[in-house]
Amino acid sequence: MKIRGDILRTYQTIHTWTGIVTGLVLFIGFYAGSLSMFEEEISQWATPSSHQLAQIPAEKFDELILKASSNFDKAQQDFTVNFTDHLSPLIWSEGGGGRGLQLEHVIRHATLSEQGELITQAHLTNELGDLIDTLHRTAGIAGKIGHEDIGVIVLGIAAMLYFIALVSGIIFLLPTLVKSFFALRTNKGANRFWLDSHNLVGIISLPFHFIIAITVVVFAFHDAFYGGLSLAYGDEPLFEQGEKSKIEHTVDQLPPIANYLKKVDELTEGYTVESMAFSGLSSSRPSVGITIINHQAMMRNSTGDFIYMNPYNFEVSFSSVKMNEEDVYTPLVASFFSLHFGGYAGDLGRWLYFIMGLLGAFLFYSGNLLWLEKRRQKQAVQTKPNRFMACLTVGVCLGSILAVVSTLLASKWFYLIGVQVNNHYLACYYVTFFAALIYTFTRGAAKSAIHILYAMGIACLLIPLTTLLTIAIPSIGLWEFKPFPSFIIEFVALVFSAVFYYGALKTKHRAYHGESNSIWALPVIKVSENISDKALSSA
Amino acid sequence: MARLTADEKIQPHWWIKTISGTVLGLSLAYAIVAIFAWYGPGGISAPIKVQFNMWLITPIWLLVLSLTYLFKTGLKAIIYLCSANAVFYSIFLFLRWLS
Repeated sequence: MKIRGDILRTYQTIHTWTGIVTGLVLFIGFYAGSLSMFEEEISQWATPSSHQLAQIPAEKFDELILKASSNFDKAQQDFTVNFTDHLSPLIWSEGGGGRGLQLEHVIRHATLSEQGELITQAHLTNELGDLIDTLHRTAGIAGKIGHEDIGVIVLGIAAMLYFIALVSGIIFLLPTLVKSFFALRTNKGANRFWLDSHNLVGIISLPFHFIIAITVVVFAFHDAFYGGLSLAYGDEPLFEQGEKSKIEHTVDQLPPIANYLKKVDELTEGYTVESMAFSGLSSSRPSVGITIINHQAMMRNSTGDFIYMNPYNFEVSFSSVKMNEEDVYTPLVASFFSLHFGGYAGDLGRWLYFIMGLLGAFLFYSGNLLWLEKRRQKQAVQTKPNRFMACLTVGVCLGSILAVVSTLLASKWFYLIGVQVNNHYLACYYVTFFAALIYTFTRGAAKSAIHILYAMGIACLLIPLTTLLTIAIPSIGLWEFKPFPSFIIEFVALVFSAVFYYGALKTKHRAYHGESNSIWALPVIKVSENISDKALSSA
Repeated sequence: MARLTADEKIQPHWWIKTISGTVLGLSLAYAIVAIFAWYGPGGISAPIKVQFNMWLITPIWLLVLSLTYLFKTGLKAIIYLCSANAVFYSIFLFLRWLS
């Protein structure tokens, strides 16, 4: 395919600049997004199993709600019923909740003993999964304008540029696409290898990237979009206003739980109820949000679909699943969310999204490296802007991963020494991140890339070792021994430990034996003559 | 392919193209979505359609913005995008006037 040279050059310039401007924040958004596919699992992994109370048989839930609401005032308005085995059957907030980050959120768990007595205990919630999700949505940029996170806005703008980068990438790749699509040339120098793998990853995951770019823009700016859309609607209301109910009820008038399950069975097919969140039970707008799961369906989120209804008369106010045949737009809209959150194809889909997210992060990292390579000069010390960008790339990308890995590692230790976990997660992330960034700028990109990769490898290795320790010393008593599936996080940490260690070795090799006129080169100091000769002859 | 002279080549005009693509691309997206909202399947009051309409804005907007750089000059970008806006808003207002 032939494209005019001036078009190619125009779009190459666009690709380069949109890429270099957005690469760093998108890198964090993508790898943290990969982790957030397992947000709930990570929080459950981090929460001591002693926090959860025993599950009860389905027919006992009504008794539990009655006993809890008559003993605790806080359980009369809002509470959540869980049907999952490893979660407490009933929880409600004791304070510190609300919108946004809930670092001080304390919830009370409740269950019934075999004799039917109410058992409760209150704990600080574990927000590790939510913090990773926040990192995913904001790239760690703190602060708010009004009620919008600055980080979300920044990522929204970055996603627009990223869309342009995708289009321009395709345009200027088209002429060579057929020729070099699957070419992964390892024999033409490191630069060519990085370029080939950048193109290969970009093209094979292109649909995924378009979806992510569009959805992120929508997530960031939907309020503004609705504002503009209201002009086109004129006098037509954008949203139907839910009517206030005239009669106010109280929790003791709540229908039995079995009725809700029956209602969900009538409304949907193949779904099971995961949890039910009741809110404002004695207000004029009572509501119950029911989370339902069907791994065979295209679910709105990877964590399930939901139905909101009035808890007293079962009137559905909003649902992410189709309620009748005429309803064409609910499944369409839900599919946009689903495509972003990986809510289809069950666990396999989640792992695929995990891998695609990491590949995306690789795309941005390799893009930055290519930018640096392209501007390389034939001199030992590279230009100041190049050195700055190299430090920024290493410091931000590797520093952020090191910070997350360190936080995962520190999690169990925080519980063991008994500190407020959520605040310490946040502190641990930012201290590690900025320490890595400062280290990079003081020691240079080449040296610190090696050191940070080693640190990442060691931190990953220590995660399973910490788990082993909690098993070896059962007297700690916070975590009980669980069968195999719960060790997946430890296993993945071990794999990444090896990957990072290998990365460190490769980076070190490049520093001492790679091209010397490079930003990544380090002067060879203590290498004996014949080793460096050997390296030269093999290079 | 014959070599292009300097005049025939695309001029960069980064700022003017970016701004016109962003502003006029967005208004064009709204015009198209407005027509769809009123006259697409289900009409204006179909349930949940408002969310779908909102979702449509972004892909149209960003596609227009991405392709704005194909215009030879910034001025042409403005002229063509303004005309496209005029056409789609006229269609929309005409249809609204009819009904």
